[in-house]
Amino acid sequence: MTAQNIAAAFAGESQASQKYLAFADVAAAEGYPNVARLFRAVAYAESTHARNHLSVLGGIGTTAENLRAAWGGETFEIDEMYPAYDAVARMQENDSARTSIRYALNAEIDHQGIYDATLRGVEGKADLDGTPVRVCPICGHTVIGDAPDECPQCGTDGAFFKEY
Amino acid sequence: MDEVMERRLPGAEDLHAMTEASLKAAFAGESQAAEKYMVFAEQADEEGLPNIANLFRAISFAETRHARNHLRVMGGVGTTAENLKTAFEGESFEIDEMYPAYAEIARLQAMTQASRSIRYAQRSEADHKEMYAAARAKAMAGADIEAGPVSVCLICGHTMIGDLPEKCLVCGAPKEYYRTF
Repeated sequence: MTAQNIAAAFAGESQASQKYLAFADVAAAEGYPNVARLFRAVAYAESTHARNHLSVLGGIGTTAENLRAAWGGETFEIDEMYPAYDAVARMQENDSARTSIRYALNAEIDHQGIYDATLRGVEGKADLDGTPVRVCPICGHTVIGDAPDECPQCGTDGAFFKEY
Repeated sequence: MDEVMERRLPGAEDLHAMTEASLKAAFAGESQAAEKYMVFAEQADEEGLPNIANLFRAISFAETRHARNHLRVMGGVGTTAENLKTAFEGESFEIDEMYPAYAEIARLQAMTQASRSIRYAQRSEADHKEMYAAARAKAMAGADIEAGPVSVCLICGHTMIGDLPEKCLVCGAPKEYYRTF
C-alpha cells in the first residue's frame, strides 16, 4: 500500500510541477512577472518532492540503467499508448487532442532513437560528445545538432528551438 | 510566445469522455517522464557524464511541451486568477486529504523513508497554499505580487519568501542548499 501511495504521490507532484510551469507562462504573458516567478519556484519545490518519492521507490539507478528505463518508457508510448489514444481520438473526432497526441508521438520516436544510441556509448563507458541538443518549444521535436529551418513536425521556425 | 507560435499549439476543445481519459493519462505520463529525466540528469552529472546530463535535461523540456499541450486541450490552462485557484485547491487536497492518509499508512507499515518523503512534501504544500491564497487575492484585484526572491530548499522543497534561515526549518539542510528564484 505504501508503494502504491508513493507512486501516486510521484504522479501527483509531477503533474503539479508541470501545471505550475504552464501557469507561469500564462502569468508572464498577462503581465504578472512576480506571480510567474512564484509558480516557477513552487514548480521546482514539487520537483524536489517528485525526486524524493522516486528515490524511495528505487526508481533512480546508474546512468546506464536510467537510459534503459527511459528507452523503455518511450517505447511503450510509441508502440502502445499513443497509437491507442490516437485511435480513440480519431473515432471521436477530437482533432485538437489528435494534434497534441501526434506532436508527442513523433517526438518520442526522436527520443527513443537518441536514448538507444546514447546507451550504446555508455555501455562502452563513453559520454556523448558536446554537440548541442535542440528542442521545438511547440511540439517537442528533438534533434542533436543544428535546428532545421522549420520544424518538420509542426512548422515552427527553427529560430525558436531551445538549445541545450 | 508570440501569436505565430500560439497558432501552432493545440487548443481546448469539447472532449469525449474516452479521449479525455486518454489525455489525462498522457498528461500524467509526460509529467512523470519530465521529472524522471531531470533526476536522471543529476545522476549522469554525478557519474561524470555531463553531455548525457544535458541530453536528459533537453528531453525533459520536450516532455514538458507535451504535458503543456495535453493540459491545454483539456482546458486546464486558464487566466492567472483561475490558475491560482486551481493551484490553491490542489495544494489543499494534498494537505487535507492525500498526504495525511498516505502518512498514516506509511506509519502503520513502519516505512520510515516513505514517511520522510511524505512529511517533506506535506510541510511545503502548506507554504504553497498560503502563498497561492495571497497571490490570488492580488490577481483578482488585477495586481501582481511584490517583487522579491522566492527560495526553495533543494532537499525537502521548503518554500519561502524573504531572508533565509541558517538551516532549513523542515529538514535542517544548511542555507546554501536553497535555490532562489
